[in-house]
Amino acid sequence: MEDKIKEEASRDNYRQEPKVGVYVCHCGGNISDIIDVKAVAAALAKYPGVVVAREYAFMCSSNGQDLIADDIKNLGVNRTVVAACSPSLHELTFRGVLQRAGVNPYLHEHINIREQASWVHKADHAGATAKAIKLAQAGVEKVLRKDALNAIRVAAEQRVAVIGGGVAGMRAALSAAGKGLEAVILEKAPRLGGKLLELGKMYPSGEEGPAVAAKLEALVRAEKKITVHTGAGIEFVSGFVGNFVVNFKNPDGRMEQVKAGAIVMATGYEHYKPHNGEFGYGEAANVVTLPEFLALMKKSPAGRLALAGQEIKSLALIHCVGSRQVEGVHKPQADGKVNDYCSRVCCSSALYAANQVKEKYPGVRIYDIYRDIRTYGMQHEEYYDKASKDGVLFLRHNEADQPVVTSDRTGHLVKVKDVLTWGEELELKADLIVLVTGMMPSDISLIRSQMKLPASADRFLQEVHPKLRPVELANSGIFVAGTAQYPMDVPEAMASAGTAAAKAAILLAEPDIPLEPFVAVVDEHKCTGCGLCPAECSYDGALMMTEKNGKKLAQVNPALCKGCGACVAVCPTRAINVAGWTLDQFDAMVAAIAKE
Amino acid sequence: MSDIERIEADALVVGSGIAGLQAALDLADQGYSVAIVEKAPSIGGKMISLSKVFPTLDCASCITTPRMASVSHHPRITTLTYSTVDAIKREGKTFTAAVTRKPRYIDEKECISCKRCEEACPVFLPDEYEQGLGAKKTISIPFTNAIPQLPVMHPEHCIRCGACARACPKDCIEFLQEPAPVEIKAKAVILATGYETTPMTAKKQYGLGNLPNVISPMAAERLLAPHGPYGRVLRPSDGKVPGSIAYVQCAGSRDKSIGVPYCSRVCCMYAIKQAILLSGSLPIADITIYYMDIRAFGKGYEQFYNNARAMGISFVKAKVARVTEDAEHNPVVRIERQEGTSAPEEVKHDLVVLSQGLLPGCDVTKFSLGVELNDFGFVQLSDETISSAVTAGAGVFAAGVVKGPRDIPDSVVDAGSAAMEAAAYIRKL
Amino acid sequence: MTHRKILIITTNHSSYPGADAVGQARMGYDANTYIIRVPDPVMFPEDFYLNAFDKGIGGIIIMSSGSDCPYEGAYERLSKRVARVYEQMKAKGIAANRLKLTTICTVCRAAFLKEISEMQKAVASV
Repeated sequence: MEDKIKEEASRDNYRQEPKVGVYVCHCGGNISDIIDVKAVAAALAKYPGVVVAREYAFMCSSNGQDLIADDIKNLGVNRTVVAACSPSLHELTFRGVLQRAGVNPYLHEHINIREQASWVHKADHAGATAKAIKLAQAGVEKVLRKDALNAIRVAAEQRVAVIGGGVAGMRAALSAAGKGLEAVILEKAPRLGGKLLELGKMYPSGEEGPAVAAKLEALVRAEKKITVHTGAGIEFVSGFVGNFVVNFKNPDGRMEQVKAGAIVMATGYEHYKPHNGEFGYGEAANVVTLPEFLALMKKSPAGRLALAGQEIKSLALIHCVGSRQVEGVHKPQADGKVNDYCSRVCCSSALYAANQVKEKYPGVRIYDIYRDIRTYGMQHEEYYDKASKDGVLFLRHNEADQPVVTSDRTGHLVKVKDVLTWGEELELKADLIVLVTGMMPSDISLIRSQMKLPASADRFLQEVHPKLRPVELANSGIFVAGTAQYPMDVPEAMASAGTAAAKAAILLAEPDIPLEPFVAVVDEHKCTGCGLCPAECSYDGALMMTEKNGKKLAQVNPALCKGCGACVAVCPTRAINVAGWTLDQFDAMVAAIAKE
Repeated sequence: MSDIERIEADALVVGSGIAGLQAALDLADQGYSVAIVEKAPSIGGKMISLSKVFPTLDCASCITTPRMASVSHHPRITTLTYSTVDAIKREGKTFTAAVTRKPRYIDEKECISCKRCEEACPVFLPDEYEQGLGAKKTISIPFTNAIPQLPVMHPEHCIRCGACARACPKDCIEFLQEPAPVEIKAKAVILATGYETTPMTAKKQYGLGNLPNVISPMAAERLLAPHGPYGRVLRPSDGKVPGSIAYVQCAGSRDKSIGVPYCSRVCCMYAIKQAILLSGSLPIADITIYYMDIRAFGKGYEQFYNNARAMGISFVKAKVARVTEDAEHNPVVRIERQEGTSAPEEVKHDLVVLSQGLLPGCDVTKFSLGVELNDFGFVQLSDETISSAVTAGAGVFAAGVVKGPRDIPDSVVDAGSAAMEAAAYIRKL
Repeated sequence: MTHRKILIITTNHSSYPGADAVGQARMGYDANTYIIRVPDPVMFPEDFYLNAFDKGIGGIIIMSSGSDCPYEGAYERLSKRVARVYEQMKAKGIAANRLKLTTICTVCRAAFLKEISEMQKAVASV
């Protein structure tokens, strides 16, 4: 690990004697009308460690910035405190001044005496001034204890491993390659295409599933930067951001290895498999799932809908099979949980299939038994409209009143408590029952346990945040694409996979991944090896116990640490701190504030 | 015109809502330079004015502001706010955009965002950021967390009293400022022009926007926001705390009579979210959602819907035929139930929210980039089973609601893939 | 100044910008309030709070990011730690209302002021 992670410069304290410059901004009266800025500067000029304290009309102006640069040059100022507006506005401005003048930019402390003092203490000039003095003094105490910080860099493999060769995996590899990265697709099946290979005519384009897969595969095969391994069985995944290793078995049994800077999980979904007897599935003849029906329909002779030689004159679609399940109503899955999520694509798929049946076999009677029709996509409402116009009969039931199917040799009888006819129990006969099944994530328990990938309550992979980091897993450098995250249709999987590739490209934009320097740092002299801190850490592998020269020590992997500081609080010897935010700094700040 | 401002960038992003911001960041973080043009005075789009967002109920501002700050501090992103794209020309491999910076009537470089002009100004206007529920000054910073923190003056309302100019410590006020042309050259264009909601005036049956206590969902967002116009939920006509609130779903979607046959995708979820927030701030209020189908199809959405039901929010399957009001401006909703009984009935509420749908925010064909639109004015992709961002115009990509309604998580995801397509296109030039 | 000092611990992510929002709206509160910012207050050990009281701080408000917290598990750890601080405060005879753990968002202006005014009452009786 150590050879992979390097710091641009050592973390040693500046050896020079600290010389603090304090700069108080008037903000053109915004601060100075309330706070006596001259008194603040005068009080700070006398404070230990401070070599110069000035006040000026606009510190952010180029004249103001020059004042600081000149003091750095002429007076040897090597740490700065600026008391002005909120750091959200100008902290970066002043760090830039230090950097340009040759001082480490992190040796700056920004004190907010506008948004958090002059603007909120308008009636109390003396109080606001006293507060500004205390805050500036606390700032001096903090900056005196700051270390020069530098970005940590991790050397990274310029390659993306894409696990899964369905449409999402192919799109992710294509997008990564489009950006110039190498991509390796690892697909367990003998060919690329995933679930699409099994599907018939699909919305929105009306193409057959295999045709959609073939378009992407042609692009993949034409791309030199993409390597494809089909029949690849993943055996072991290890490593961390920039340096993952995926070990897999070839179809001929040979072990191979891919080294990658980032991993895209495009592991896809499985169709929900109804349990035996669920609406007659697996027990009665002519009870099929929607994907099975689509495949069978392809084989049906022209002119009449027939399955295995038997003509189908009527069919009933039952929605939400394996989706939107309710505890107490539905049988739980193997893990004891019901599928309480909506599978998103099945309403549109079902109605699109109903449209096709009506187009090819207008005489077939179709019943559509549903709870809510969720045709949310741009053209999807048309499928619903068309089905209604073509005479598909819709029946709506409540979640607690599930339809009941009884079957004999003559066909099926479906009983539905239909809310559209005010709760009347209707009975209808159908030759075929089509169960509109939902999606469940593929079984990726091996990789999930090896890499400790988070899953949500619905068992799909869990993103860090649905809006801030929607395709990133908590494991740095691992991204999710397509239905491994949640049910989605092909266009949605395209967006998700493109974004997963974008995040990988951002991560691998340079050969070295720059990481924030604000991570936990262990003082090896103070660390007693007590082992308390790793238990506090929420990030797997970020903080571990190790041994160095026979001494037990805590060790931080800066590539995995997020800098929350949970470990800091439990260290009995204060040997571990978050760089830039140490406990000693805060103790000194509080002492300065509390002092009468 | 030798002094025209010229900007060169790898990509031009039109619009700075959450999709535009994310697309710009995802390009800039890969090393490309980006110019963003935003017509509003602040970046952040619609999302920055929302209260909390589904399904995690995090504060919208807390999620949007870091994105806005990253964009405004990014060394490779140039942002032009309060600016319009007037035309885009393609010449060979280069796009040239003619942009106009609208005058804010202040010196943007010198302004220190102190709001003294705003405090001094004696003229109040209805505040469009607060959906007209609050007031603002004729010269004012558009809202608390606007970026940039620069005031805009509305000269049509200014009485030329000079109070702002006298109050300004930096002598920034420029009454004679003129619109300024800017020329942006870029290799690729990302359209992220977002949406507008279907107008309140769309349906005669729902009062044409004339009933004071029948409000838009955006107004409801402001009422619910922690920094909203009243700081609490009050109804507009008389400032009364509403005891009974109803949502009319599909009031502007799935409705051929107003030319919006499609589903707007977000209305079920925002109504459920607002209902949950309302039951938090008004624990004894009755909240009813009149709906056709609840479309809670995203990750965690069905569970969110179930939570709302468990909280006692009442979901009524019904068609809303008409919304009128009584003498006290109480909205009266005429419904035809889909379950229980068929007889139409009239239900009185204190406040009604019309769950409006989404319309395209901008007709992007005006840029003549070869981009094709679908029947409803949204951008049509060349082949959405191959790419989620490639349009019929070479070098032109689309991100977010410009392609059709979608929610925030879907827009954020979408923006990343648009950035990726643009990056690949630029690389191959 | 008559009031004793109140230390307000804010987060970079949400409550520090929230405090800025109060200023941008020109809302007012008393000047005995000292805001410091951290990545996450979970970094402070129990004795940090007790030492602060020893040094003469009247009251401490921890304004966390709550459910908006960007760090995994940090809020749960923080609330457990604060519970232990309360126990130690009780043992030392420090009134419990001098320490408050709360959640403040980037635009929670009213909630911010309410927390301060409640703490003012608590420190007035110290």
